[in-house]
Amino acid sequence: MESKAHNRRDFIRRSVRVSLGLTVGGVGALALKNGTTDEWVWQIDPFECNQCGRCATECVRNISAVKCVHAYDLCGYCDLCGGYLKPGAPRIDTGAEHQLCPTAAIKRKYIEEPFFEYVIEEDLCIGCAKCVKGCTSFGNGSLHLQIRHDLCRNCNQCAIARVCPSKAIIRVPNTEPYLIKGSFTKSDKT
Amino acid sequence: MKKTFIYVFLSLVVIIILVLVVKDFSSNRPGRMSGNPYKLDVDEIMAVDPELISYRETRNYDIDADKLGGIALSGENICIGADDYLQMIDPEGKQIMKIKLPHSPECLTVSEQGNILVGFRNGLALYSPEGEEIWKTDTMGERAVFTAVRMTSSVIYVADAGQRAVHRYGPDGSYIDSFEGKTQIEGNYGFIVPSPYFDLAIAPDGELWVANPGKHSIENYTGEGKLRAYWENMNPTIDGFSGCCNPAHIDIMTDGSFVTSEKGVVRIKIHKPSGELATVVAAPDKFLVDGEAPDVAVHEDGTVYALDYDRKTIRIFEPK
Repeated sequence: MESKAHNRRDFIRRSVRVSLGLTVGGVGALALKNGTTDEWVWQIDPFECNQCGRCATECVRNISAVKCVHAYDLCGYCDLCGGYLKPGAPRIDTGAEHQLCPTAAIKRKYIEEPFFEYVIEEDLCIGCAKCVKGCTSFGNGSLHLQIRHDLCRNCNQCAIARVCPSKAIIRVPNTEPYLIKGSFTKSDKT
Repeated sequence: MKKTFIYVFLSLVVIIILVLVVKDFSSNRPGRMSGNPYKLDVDEIMAVDPELISYRETRNYDIDADKLGGIALSGENICIGADDYLQMIDPEGKQIMKIKLPHSPECLTVSEQGNILVGFRNGLALYSPEGEEIWKTDTMGERAVFTAVRMTSSVIYVADAGQRAVHRYGPDGSYIDSFEGKTQIEGNYGFIVPSPYFDLAIAPDGELWVANPGKHSIENYTGEGKLRAYWENMNPTIDGFSGCCNPAHIDIMTDGSFVTSEKGVVRIKIHKPSGELATVVAAPDKFLVDGEAPDVAVHEDGTVYALDYDRKTIRIFEPK
């Protein structure tokens, strides 16, 4: 009788141990899977972004993982670029006092009269979207913000998405991690 | 004892509520954040002195279409391109004609005889007032993007934003030639068209005027395509043209004044023949922020018809 009672107790004990082990192992495996295979990443929908400036101030990275990108196929290569120059700048030149970007992250390159190319230096860009607002208001809207995935930590809850007033930061599959204007259009969203 | 407990409990509840309220006010959730330190303030450019606005919107007609493609006046009636159709609307907003087109229309104009010339992406077609096709042209090629058409009794002018040129056609639709607006004048590089907005208009005296958006100018050309005169005003303030490329659309009044429509900071204005600002028809607050420039057509009585692409509406502005 005693032997039988002992066996039952052992059985229950072992069962509890195995169950706990399986649960802990399962949770750990799931966490490992989620930690190593990012099926979804954060990205900015450029058609929803309202250039609020929070990408520059709220990202956990310092400097922000959000950078301005340039859709060259949409750009007019204008002499008077609304994303490069302050509105009402007295002259169209590369003078720092005329530039819109607070960190001078946009370089103006001469192509041929009267066309100029505007290149973003990402090391200097802080993702403030000031140029994006200028380009959207006064140009073709070719400048827009994107989260650079070589810099982004892909936090479980993106600190910028939490405060983004236009809910422009969304999860996208890591197979298509960028929403670049031109190849990504408003109609792609519907 | 019981009373003391109630007081302590209520005090604790009040303290917890106060802490929650203070925490909420000090949080940075949307709506509670301090202002944008990087804000590009365009409010000053958007603001218009009400004294300058001498028009008011009196009517508007919604258009049931996904894509609009130009507006023109046929007497008292309004012609518009919408989806793959040409529509005519009477002054009361009632549709009086609707014909299916072979392609999506991009621009249109009406001849003195009432025939309707429709510009497609890279071709033209002429329709009778009853909607019957009179002729159509061959396509101009893949690079062509027709954005405006105008016709006199002897010639048809077509603005091609894709090739940055104005094409001339005969009244029977036969291609004559093209010109790019280039001259020997220093700093004149011809038509600069950074975006698909490139318009032209015929003045009551028959003169051709072309909007050169990249130069923020309106230029007068001879029938052979030689630059005769121009005026320009690159300035974000209300008396000039803002942004990279404006005006996006133009029309000409009976006194030679220009009705202009701008994109980016969307606004409709009237400039005197000399280029000086005459009045404002519609300020930016009448349109969506960063919206599309409405196409414009002006009646001989001064009424301005605007085709609002964002709201899919014909908006009618009359002098106050």
